[in-house]
Amino acid sequence: MIKGDKIFRMAGFYFSVLLFLIMLPILLSYSLGYKIDYKAFKIYKTGIIYINSQPSGASVLVNGKLYKDPTPAQIEELKPGTYKIEVKREGFYPWEGELIVEPNMATRADKIVLFPVTREMKILGKLDIADFAISDNNYLYYFTRSGLFKSATDGSGIKKISSYSSWPDKMNERKFSPDGDKILYFNNNTISVVYLNPENNVAKEKYEARVEEVLKSPDTIIGAFWYYDSGYIIAVTDKDVKVIELRGGMIRNIASLYRFSARPGSLYYDEKSDSLYFTDIKVESGLESKRHLYRLDLRRTFFDSLREFLLNKETGVERSKK
Amino acid sequence: MNAQKNRFYKRLFEIIPGFLTWSTLISLILLAIFKPVLASIFVIAFDLYWVIRISYLTSLLLFAHRRLERAKGVDWLKKCDFAGDHDGLGYRNIYHAVLFPAYKEGLDILTASISALEHSNYPKDKIIVVLSVEARAGAQAQDNALMLKEKYKDKFFKFIATSHPDGIPGESRVKGANATWGAKVLKGFLDSEKIEYEHVVISCFDADTCVEREYFSCLAYHYLINPKRTHSSYQPIPVYNNNIWHARSIARILELGSSFMQMIETMRLEKFVTFSSHSMSFKTLVDVDYWPVDMISDDSVIYWRCFLYFNGDYSVIPMYVTVSMDVATGVTILETIAKQYRQKRRWAWGVENFPYLMLGFMENNNIPLTKKIRRAFHILESHYTWAVWAIIITFIAPLPIIFGGGLFARTAIGYNLPSVSAALFRVSLFTIFICIFVTMKLIPPRPDDVKPQKKLIMIAQWFISPLVAALLGSAPAVDAQTRLMLGKYMHFHITEKSRKKSN
Repeated sequence: MIKGDKIFRMAGFYFSVLLFLIMLPILLSYSLGYKIDYKAFKIYKTGIIYINSQPSGASVLVNGKLYKDPTPAQIEELKPGTYKIEVKREGFYPWEGELIVEPNMATRADKIVLFPVTREMKILGKLDIADFAISDNNYLYYFTRSGLFKSATDGSGIKKISSYSSWPDKMNERKFSPDGDKILYFNNNTISVVYLNPENNVAKEKYEARVEEVLKSPDTIIGAFWYYDSGYIIAVTDKDVKVIELRGGMIRNIASLYRFSARPGSLYYDEKSDSLYFTDIKVESGLESKRHLYRLDLRRTFFDSLREFLLNKETGVERSKK
Repeated sequence: MNAQKNRFYKRLFEIIPGFLTWSTLISLILLAIFKPVLASIFVIAFDLYWVIRISYLTSLLLFAHRRLERAKGVDWLKKCDFAGDHDGLGYRNIYHAVLFPAYKEGLDILTASISALEHSNYPKDKIIVVLSVEARAGAQAQDNALMLKEKYKDKFFKFIATSHPDGIPGESRVKGANATWGAKVLKGFLDSEKIEYEHVVISCFDADTCVEREYFSCLAYHYLINPKRTHSSYQPIPVYNNNIWHARSIARILELGSSFMQMIETMRLEKFVTFSSHSMSFKTLVDVDYWPVDMISDDSVIYWRCFLYFNGDYSVIPMYVTVSMDVATGVTILETIAKQYRQKRRWAWGVENFPYLMLGFMENNNIPLTKKIRRAFHILESHYTWAVWAIIITFIAPLPIIFGGGLFARTAIGYNLPSVSAALFRVSLFTIFICIFVTMKLIPPRPDDVKPQKKLIMIAQWFISPLVAALLGSAPAVDAQTRLMLGKYMHFHITEKSRKKSN
């Protein structure tokens, strides 16, 4: 072997061994969160704070002192304790918080959202709005005194879809049907349905949407839910539970399924099990107190048989829709 | 040592490499699941060790390459002339016997190899060619041998074509058996010509081996000036240039990788062992009773046989000339992977040298203990590292993060492990650039039928090397060690070589 190469090889080998022996403790102490104080011959346990913000590039202050890197920033070799962290970026509200650093641990604060100081406010449609609703397929519906309007969620592409304007002063709730074709809304005594899909309109009108009052009740309506593939509405008044069928043209099937012995309190309709959960309230000496939680299984009512009957009659239609 | 004891120790030494490899891999997986912090410490330490190791090895590669480049301009025949006589031996009375143990290799492959001998600058009247074809290869193979003999018989001092009979008692179907047969036929010829064995250097070549012009001059020079010429083997640099431009990237990376490893090994003489095509004194070959006829890794085991025979006083002399072979490649990627896997598993079966060596050490009291320990450690360490490194780096390193869970992710080491590993990986990237540089220097000029953009692929291919190393570097080695551990011995499987003809 050439002498020079042999010397190089030996030097390279021993240098490699030496490099490994020097680098290994440094690398492991860094990775494990230890800091070596070479002057004092001491080893400290330290921790890490990882900060990231949305948007990134924000300044980080640790106990009031500016850290060298903007977010995302990894602040290392911190002695265990509590640190006051501030995240600042021009044009955004600052974020501040106290983070606890534990020995040999990493503390993450990587989901900080910085909100802009000024946000542009945009008026969507200069209309006299009674109420509005946003559908799952990203349409905005405006219930106005001059009709029903529809636009994209950012307000673009606004158009009138119905001339109906007799909206109640106060809509207690607005609910889109699971098939997305209808909206139901109600106030204390009426439930109405907006048919959005022109294909479902019985009569082809000028506008694509049609509004229909489906229930006028002497009792106070406290809840309404879509039932069975958007073809029915469960209406809960302070006296009973009703089912309203939306099919059948001029004839509307409405059935009372259950009469309350006391006025119901909280209501929840579970679509998966077709069950209505409610609490009833017994009035005692002028004071209201909740008594029990009830479950009304709507599948077991006479209406279930009715539904089956109707299904059998219209199997072809139902299945083709699915 | 009685036969029963011998069997016991043989099995013990066969089990050790596989046991070490599997213990390491299983322990690390369990550690990653149950003690992710400890596993992470190991992974970081291993990553650092590996980065430093490959940096060191890459620097050796550069030096070896520099020596190869320097040797290119040397007129070895002239040097032989100037060297004069040594111990009554001059280059004019050195014979080169070139032995090709062949199976079903086509006429095109054998013709190219023999033609390269014809084009060497060494006097042809000092070259003896022995083409030993397996009888079981069929009539076509025998006919080919006879055709080649007819074609080249006047070009060399002697062209011997012989057929190695199948089923000789004690033999396995391995290349060593065929090579031994050919060497014995050669011995008969040398005896008849009264040529001294020490005057003959035998080169045992794979059928696809093409020597460069200066090969035999370089070999003669090294043989001549070496006072311990019969105590040495002579190892050229194996390159896979015959079809490298037509081979698939995966195959190219692996074969270039083995060339690089051989170049690196030339710088580490204390570990240097013969590999693939190499040369040695015919006298030594006869003294050690030829190649083992029942072992697959004949190329390396012949070295250990000599090492034991000469009580440890045997070495390998590196020669900075190349012999070129075929890249084992296929038409499709899957075929290439399968071929490469089988070939690398056969190479990794060289782990059978470990029990062979250990048993030899146990019976030899003349080799110093320190030398025995060092050589045993080298062979075990090289096979062990071969099997585990790429699997650890590619598959085991991410396991602490996968299995560590939320609490581990909150620890400093759980947080730092990905970034520290990535930083070390980035450091190791420079070795890829060095590999690219050496590749471009080592490969032959682009043939006309290859598009110019393939040069870019030659460069880009190196970036998939970590994955290829894991799949086709470590996995076949684990396979081979497992088979040896379980006593499921491998049979010789010839890697089919096919060469696309250049237009």
